[in-house]
Amino acid sequence: MTDSMTSLTLDATLARAGPAAESFARLWRSLWRQGHVPPELLELCRLTLARLHDDPAEIAVANGLLDLPPAAARRAAVVEGRALDDPAFSDAEKAALIFAEYYWIDPQSITDDVAGDVKTHFGEAGLVFLIEALGCIDGRIRTARCLRDIAVHAPEREVAHV
Amino acid sequence: MSEPRATGPGTNSGNVIRDSAMGRVPETVEEIIRLNGHVWRDSKVPPSLLEVVRLRNARTVNCVFCKSVRYDVARADGLTEDRVEMIADGYEESGLSEREKLAIALADSYLGFPAKVRPDLAPRLTAEFGDDEIASLLVALMTFNFTSRMAVSIGGMPEEPLPVTEVSVAISTS
Repeated sequence: MTDSMTSLTLDATLARAGPAAESFARLWRSLWRQGHVPPELLELCRLTLARLHDDPAEIAVANGLLDLPPAAARRAAVVEGRALDDPAFSDAEKAALIFAEYYWIDPQSITDDVAGDVKTHFGEAGLVFLIEALGCIDGRIRTARCLRDIAVHAPEREVAHV
Repeated sequence: MSEPRATGPGTNSGNVIRDSAMGRVPETVEEIIRLNGHVWRDSKVPPSLLEVVRLRNARTVNCVFCKSVRYDVARADGLTEDRVEMIADGYEESGLSEREKLAIALADSYLGFPAKVRPDLAPRLTAEFGDDEIASLLVALMTFNFTSRMAVSIGGMPEEPLPVTEVSVAISTS
């Protein structure tokens, strides 16, 4: 239902956009099957953006695209904003999580040092991939929030419910 | 202009996405090109309306490249520079159509911190646009937003505005 829609559950609703929505869905699925950034870390980035959006539904949803979800303690550290001070997270993981925070605030705020740390750990292609992935995740969270609000405030015709 | 943090793969395919830093990620680049093509060719709203939300996004993200581009298909669909100039502060009082104003309002909802559709806006959106049109506008917004944020994140962006340039949509879709 659209009142609990999240980045992970909106493809059926967006399908009325036709081939563009199908393409975006394929792109989304491909993010979780690549060799640049571990999918578990990408999920921690999704949870970071969910925390910054202050979005309980997005935080609560389980990511069925993951073969191996984050351990509960790691998930909690990210959701509670403690990961960057937690020795259980590697320098590479912290570099990606810090980058995600800068990206969310404003891409113009990303410093050379923050981007350089990501490149050090994941390479140039890894940096590019991480930016793409954060853009897709952030966009889907934003879209889910908009569709939820429309469904709540204009319930006489729930948007694109299929 | 700062130094870019990543560069293209050294190809000269004629596609600005494939030849950009995004070309360094073979797992995603071809789908991004297909996505861009579907947005411009198969959306449930016309290219002129897509261009309105693309330019609103470009303005908010402050992507100098994106702000300078005008896609040929949008101009052919009737979007003039006079109308483009109205996609700015005070657009509500401009001569833009009600559909264009509502599309900008949806874009601003998407781009907000937090992203949020105001209670008074939601019924106006659903009265004006069909479900397929709202879905198309949101898919287009996601596409425009993540590619413009990519350009800003990679760096190397000129600080001064670039001249307005009409380009064929084919440079990023084929």
